Amino acid sequence: MRYAGAFLVAWVLAVANVSAFSYIKVLGVTPDFVLIFATCWAVIRGEPEALMVVPFAGLMRDLLSSDPIGTSMLGFVPIVLFAAIARVQVIDSDFPPTVAVVAAGSLTFGIIQTLVLGVTGQHIEIWQVFIRVIVPGVIVNALFTPIVYLPVRWSSPRFTGLRGSRGLASPYS
Amino acid sequence: MRLIWWLATVVTVSLVSIFLSHHHATDPAHNLTLTVSAPLEDVLYDAVHPIDNIYEGIADRGDLVRENEELRAEIERLQAELASRENNDQRIAALEDALGVKLNRPDDKLLAANVVAQDPSGQKRLVAIDRGSGDGVEEGMVILSRSGSLVGTVATTYKDYAWIRLITDPDSAVNAQVEVNATQPGNNTSPLTAPSATPGAATPSVTPAPTSSETTSVRGVADGNLRQGLVLDLLPPDANIPKGTLVVTSGLGGNYPAGILIGSIKDLQQRPQAAFKKAVLEPATQLSSLETVLVLVSFKPARLEVP
Repeated sequence: MRYAGAFLVAWVLAVANVSAFSYIKVLGVTPDFVLIFATCWAVIRGEPEALMVVPFAGLMRDLLSSDPIGTSMLGFVPIVLFAAIARVQVIDSDFPPTVAVVAAGSLTFGIIQTLVLGVTGQHIEIWQVFIRVIVPGVIVNALFTPIVYLPVRWSSPRFTGLRGSRGLASPYS
Repeated sequence: MRLIWWLATVVTVSLVSIFLSHHHATDPAHNLTLTVSAPLEDVLYDAVHPIDNIYEGIADRGDLVRENEELRAEIERLQAELASRENNDQRIAALEDALGVKLNRPDDKLLAANVVAQDPSGQKRLVAIDRGSGDGVEEGMVILSRSGSLVGTVATTYKDYAWIRLITDPDSAVNAQVEVNATQPGNNTSPLTAPSATPGAATPSVTPAPTSSETTSVRGVADGNLRQGLVLDLLPPDANIPKGTLVVTSGLGGNYPAGILIGSIKDLQQRPQAAFKKAVLEPATQLSSLETVLVLVSFKPARLEVP
């Protein structure tokens, strides 16, 4: 059931990414809510669920964009690895690690996507892509993280038992 | 250990999928997903569009006021020009009738399509339309806006949908031409001029182009560009093109019909010692908010012709 909910949200966000949200540009780029959602899920819900939800979110993103299928699946792989590192908590909150993973994930996703598009014949202006797409994407996705982070956190089983006890702080602490 | 297995599996599946997708083996999956998602896309778009308009309105208020003033001046200029051209149009129509010349390709067959999605990647400028190979849409076909200016070409087709490569996409290159005054270099009068969208740009003269001066065609290539949107490249170094001059397709190469409006000159870049000049173009149609486009199904681009 939890996977069904995550898959449904990933699909809705992937649809919104190419329709409603695509018209909203910040720093010249559209926030990638699918990537943000996958990252939040991976950091908050843990590795077992991340292994299922993150590739599915990537698949949904690929199916609804013009990228070759597999591009986002491959591009989202580092998110699971970053999330695993982020869960070794050194601070009393999930939120800063999530933002850090979103930023790092956006950077690696941008690089992997550029490589895949280049290999499959797309004309790539590497420097322009880096300056105008990847770097703004890192900033914008990090800025939009709270919008996705809070609902994912509130729906998390480890949070629902402790609802009201803390704001953005970790329920484990 | 589980993570390593997962990593190996996902990377392998992804690479195989990319290979299959590159060879169009996954097109039915794309088509099915777009079909299933289309109703939700409409709902989400309708829900967010008013907010988007408010957001754009706030962000662009200063530009809108300035643009409004420019447009009022332009209406006045066009009304004056219209009056003087009516007589000429009648004469031209009579001459065309006498010679049997067809203008504006009246036999063109157009297929209307709704824009249903925009590619979320910032690296490409593509939109999806709700017409596909089942409707006779083929890769390479030319896409026009409702007013007839160039929007792009069909990049990928599925059965019921197609992705359109906009003219601002880095992969897009269109052979273009500009009509400029040949006898008076640096003179800002041209027979084909439009109001520039650039704030503060000089408004074209109200006076019609002098009939005594000769005009010449300057050819270039309109390239998509992530930084500037649309650039007219490979212009001769001595080309002197005023702002607002209209740029149309040249028809060279056979991939686009000649004479389709692409946009207008926004800024001519002067580079001493450069082999070619460049000009930044303002696309004739607002490509970021396309809702309906026309597929030119009757024109077969050269790359679609069977040898």
